[in-house]
Amino acid sequence: MEKVKQKDLILYSGLIILGLAAPYLFSAFKVQLTYLCVLIVLAMTWNLQGGEMGYNTFGNILFYGLGMYLTASVQVGMFFPLAEWTESGGEKTFVHTTAQYFQGIGVGLLVSAIVPAVIAGAIGYAILGLRGHYFAICTLGLGIAAGEIAGGIEIIGAGQGFTTPPFPAEIVDTEARGKFFYFLSFALLVGTFIFVKYIYGSRFRLILNAIRDNEDKAEAMGIQTMKYKIVGWMCSAFFCGLAGGIMGGLIGYIDSTDVAFDGREMGVFMVLMAILGGKGTLWGPVIGATLFHFFKEGLWTLILGWQYVALGVLIVVIVVYFPEGLMGWLREKYPERFGEVIDEKDRKAQVELK
Amino acid sequence: MNKIAKLFVTFISAITLALVSITSSFAKVEGEYIVLGSAISLTGKYSSNGVHTQNGYNMAVERINKMGGVEVQGKKYKFEIIYYDDESNPKRAAQLAERLIKQDGVHYMLGPYSSGLTKAIAPVTEKYKIPMVEANGASRSLFTKGYKYLFAVLSPANQYLEVAIDLAVEKNGGKGVKIAQAFEQDAFSQDVRLGILDAAKRTGSEIIIDDKLPKELNDMAATLAKVKAVKPDVLVVSGHTKGALTAIRQISEMKVDVPMLAMTHCDAAKLSKQHGKKSEFALCASQWHKNLSYKDKFFGSGKKYAKDFQKEFGYDPPYQSAESSAALLVFKDAFERANSFDRDAVRDALVDTEMQTFYGNIKFGPGGQNVAKPMILFQVRCKGDDCENRVVAPTKWASDKFYHPIPKWSERS
Repeated sequence: MEKVKQKDLILYSGLIILGLAAPYLFSAFKVQLTYLCVLIVLAMTWNLQGGEMGYNTFGNILFYGLGMYLTASVQVGMFFPLAEWTESGGEKTFVHTTAQYFQGIGVGLLVSAIVPAVIAGAIGYAILGLRGHYFAICTLGLGIAAGEIAGGIEIIGAGQGFTTPPFPAEIVDTEARGKFFYFLSFALLVGTFIFVKYIYGSRFRLILNAIRDNEDKAEAMGIQTMKYKIVGWMCSAFFCGLAGGIMGGLIGYIDSTDVAFDGREMGVFMVLMAILGGKGTLWGPVIGATLFHFFKEGLWTLILGWQYVALGVLIVVIVVYFPEGLMGWLREKYPERFGEVIDEKDRKAQVELK
Repeated sequence: MNKIAKLFVTFISAITLALVSITSSFAKVEGEYIVLGSAISLTGKYSSNGVHTQNGYNMAVERINKMGGVEVQGKKYKFEIIYYDDESNPKRAAQLAERLIKQDGVHYMLGPYSSGLTKAIAPVTEKYKIPMVEANGASRSLFTKGYKYLFAVLSPANQYLEVAIDLAVEKNGGKGVKIAQAFEQDAFSQDVRLGILDAAKRTGSEIIIDDKLPKELNDMAATLAKVKAVKPDVLVVSGHTKGALTAIRQISEMKVDVPMLAMTHCDAAKLSKQHGKKSEFALCASQWHKNLSYKDKFFGSGKKYAKDFQKEFGYDPPYQSAESSAALLVFKDAFERANSFDRDAVRDALVDTEMQTFYGNIKFGPGGQNVAKPMILFQVRCKGDDCENRVVAPTKWASDKFYHPIPKWSERS
């Protein structure tokens, strides 16, 4: 036992060192690496619902978009009149000092973590009673509705979009912005991973699994399933909001349906990545997101104009050949490597019984 | 689990190796080529205009290269463009701009299609001090941000239809008019809206319908039903290509009678070809028309450009293509005046640009917008089933008189 832990320690410290060194090693790829961190976070948090709890949500994009708008709004609103900033598509520009910029984004991120979590609680209370497809369809509507509503709210720029505060000009180093957002997203990734890993070792995960496997039975055993479902969703919303906040700052321009409540892309990607890697596993979403991101960045431009066809084919291949994802596939092939012991005698006995 | 961990480590190290091996970056000027970069909407909602833009760029690159290329310090260079598809998505566009600059080593950028995407890319080019000449981002807010490396060959979006309101007021005997308007929820159309609001205030006109249209624009029947009920003097619609097509389709289906119909993107939507007589009398704002009298030595006149473009791509060039071609002419001129590939020298040369192209005069204002070129209005007019865009304003280039009011559907054959 002690030995395994030591190996884990080596693995984790290796990954962290790699993560910390990455922006220096691959300086040109900082933005893509930042995207990767955010994608992994989104896949991992989706996995909490879709994989562990068995509730396929398309609504997590709502929290991501909310986080984006909230961070930017707070960052501007703390120091300047927000309405004037966004009026006429952001014609007037106030300049943040370095201190204002970082204070703003700090407070903004805090708000963008808490508010989506609270909203997840409220919405969850209303709709987590739905099950199966009904829940999926309902959450699909959430993201779309949010996009349309945000496109009509003047104070956050409406259809004009919201230009987030530019990185302080006093910092002359052109690499600083990239590094700042990379480390921010990497910190979020590490935080999310630790949190999810903690959940994986807790009774909470078992309850979520019980809900997935048979919710009625779980309830009959005295588990207040509703409470756990809501808390689970709130946890996801917390991290999704943060991810959105970071992305908003990185992209620099928030559009209601194409950037913030981007259900068609991010909303689908997070599901796809989790399924690709293997839902219901700790590493599955991480591997899935990494593979997906490399596939996307590497091949996307080679097949200009056909990328969405390729994506469609990828989805079909995943669903048909790897319904349990890569981790599930590996687990089936090499169960002993996952620590599953197959009792040959028992297996034979069962075959004979049939 | 530890076996899996090993697998994972192997995987990560494989990726690391792969990444390291492809970090080698291109140079801004490679051999005899000056490499420009552009993210263009080849898929998604702006794909048709994205292709118009790309065709415009390609046509200019080919022409300039054929006619001797760009001469810097006595050596001839040719243009080459690296394209990526931004999927009509600002997030993707910003990421691709970063990629073009950091990984492909591009030092000079051409703009994407649409204001929204330009808004997403400008902060990136600004950060790396990369001069960008853009031809399709007209939003006024692009030019008030104090960007130093952004240059637009086109007039700002708020100027698109202001003239149309002035025309309507003039036809109304100088009195204010009743305006009904519907705009797509995107940066460009919302800016056109701001221009109308200004014009309405200035002329004492009243806005009686002010609707927003969704981005995936396929239906505006609700707005048109209201128009039928309240009978405004002018109907203004802006929503890129889809907006123009949807408006004409539904106005003719619902037989909406309105004395004046002002729109954007009629030529990009090939309205006169697609809808023929149904689109007659539509008044359209345009950055350029082939009948204008501007000239340059690469494309000759606007008419010649249109002919060559038609031969190459099989359709009449919309202004999106013309302005995109002009962007390359601006770059060529700037490189030659700078006589250097230093980014700041090129940027300074761009600031001093003062030239005439087939597309119009180009001179950049302090915000980077083109201040030397007016917007024009044309009206779709038909002879039999053959419809054409005829310039009606400003009077200097007008080939036809503005036809007003639009006859009722019951009187149209």
